[in-house]
Amino acid sequence: MLKARSSIIRIAKYTLMDQVRQKSFIMMFVICALSILLIRSCSQGSFMVNGQALDADAIIHVVSKVIFHIITAGAMLLAALLSMRVFKRDRDEGMQSCILSKPVTRWQYVAGKILGLWVLSVIFMFILHSIVFIIVSINLKVVMPEYLIPSLLCSFNLLFVVVAVLLFSLLMSDIIAFLCVMGIGVISFVADGIFAMSQSQMGQAMMQQSGSASDLSGWKVIYYLWPKLSGIQQIASSLIGREGSHGFLSIYPVINVLIYALSLGALLFWRFRNEEII
Amino acid sequence: MIKLNAVTKQYGSLTAVDSVSFSVKTGEYFALLGPNGAGKTTIVKMLLDFTQPTSGSLSINSILSTQAASRTAIGYLAENHHIPPHLSGWQYLQRCAELLNIDRSDATDQCRRIVKQIGMEGRENTKASTYSKGMIQRFGMGAALLGHPKLLLLDEPTSGLDPIGIREIRQLLESLKEQGMTIFLNSHLLSEVEKICDNAAIINQGKLLVKDNISALIKNGDTLEDVFVRLVKG
Repeated sequence: MLKARSSIIRIAKYTLMDQVRQKSFIMMFVICALSILLIRSCSQGSFMVNGQALDADAIIHVVSKVIFHIITAGAMLLAALLSMRVFKRDRDEGMQSCILSKPVTRWQYVAGKILGLWVLSVIFMFILHSIVFIIVSINLKVVMPEYLIPSLLCSFNLLFVVVAVLLFSLLMSDIIAFLCVMGIGVISFVADGIFAMSQSQMGQAMMQQSGSASDLSGWKVIYYLWPKLSGIQQIASSLIGREGSHGFLSIYPVINVLIYALSLGALLFWRFRNEEII
Repeated sequence: MIKLNAVTKQYGSLTAVDSVSFSVKTGEYFALLGPNGAGKTTIVKMLLDFTQPTSGSLSINSILSTQAASRTAIGYLAENHHIPPHLSGWQYLQRCAELLNIDRSDATDQCRRIVKQIGMEGRENTKASTYSKGMIQRFGMGAALLGHPKLLLLDEPTSGLDPIGIREIRQLLESLKEQGMTIFLNSHLLSEVEKICDNAAIINQGKLLVKDNISALIKNGDTLEDVFVRLVKG
């Protein structure tokens, strides 16, 4: 068991090191960090509307929440980009056959790859979130540790993205795998938006008028079963705003995404077991 | 040490390996010969569990090749060996040593010795992207020698090497013989096989044509090449 764990950690370490070494990764990280630093003035809270100063705390909270969402979505994009070519690169550069010709099992190899990519994208996201956290803390002169917990919560999304892209990259071309997973993410966000609108008073009234409320039950099932990537981000951002929880519904997205990640992970292990090593 | 029991591998309607059975004893220098597409590399891949046989079984040291434990004391060199271009030869060897659970100080000693053995002193710290095919093949050979393996699976080890490199690899393999290592060699260079190996098997279109001692195969002043051509061309 110890040997298995050390093999996984080593493979994860190589994955992480190989990705970080790439110029494209460094460039992406620098651009993201600079972008966040450039928009720091948005969180200074000196906003005036019709000559009246707005509540600085509220403004900063809203702005930091928006930035939080952008960073998390960006980290998902990065995780997908990093994952899409991992197997292909390993195969082309001979690392796959090098590792698997040693007493390393295929599941250890795959687990190492998942761990490496996940940790890297979580670190990437966490550093960017920390920059926002520091800016907000400085501007408000209040330390808000609750800002970093949502960041960790969003790491479940990254796990889902990494596992899904790795699995799909075995079944289809890398770019299609990337687009498929991004598509799942976009649908999740759009569906949550539509759902939120349909729950509003105006939405309810519109549906009652058109008499389509009863036709939506099928869509609701799909909506609840779809990977709730957007749901996790909403829970996370509600922790920043210290909004109240809504019972089971508030943890459902976490359970949903975890179940998806585990199921796709199991499929990935099963698929890779039959993969021919070149 | 190696045992193949009625191994068949099919890719769709193509039979790459057709009910092949043979064994290789410990300390034996064994060559698997055959024309391109005969199924030699497929057999090596099945021994490493890179691909699964359609039927039959393969074992190394009485452990089924599907178990990772069968690869505990194996060194492997692929036909077209690759090294990640951003790594230096030294870093690559260190990685391989880590994967074999060799402790750090021992790994450094082994890597240093191996760099000398493969004649790559002074080039070990430059990036693999600057290496020639022959140099990559040498580092691949070096990686295969890490961890004192008991069995070397070499798939065209001299591929891409110049005549001097081929000679050095041959000398290296001859020196390993004294250490009691078992070698399973896939090669097209029949003259080299004749010089190095004790036993050989010839396969064609996935079928085992013959397996015998090399001196028994070569009779009446023939060379191994003559025997090979005669058997393959029927």
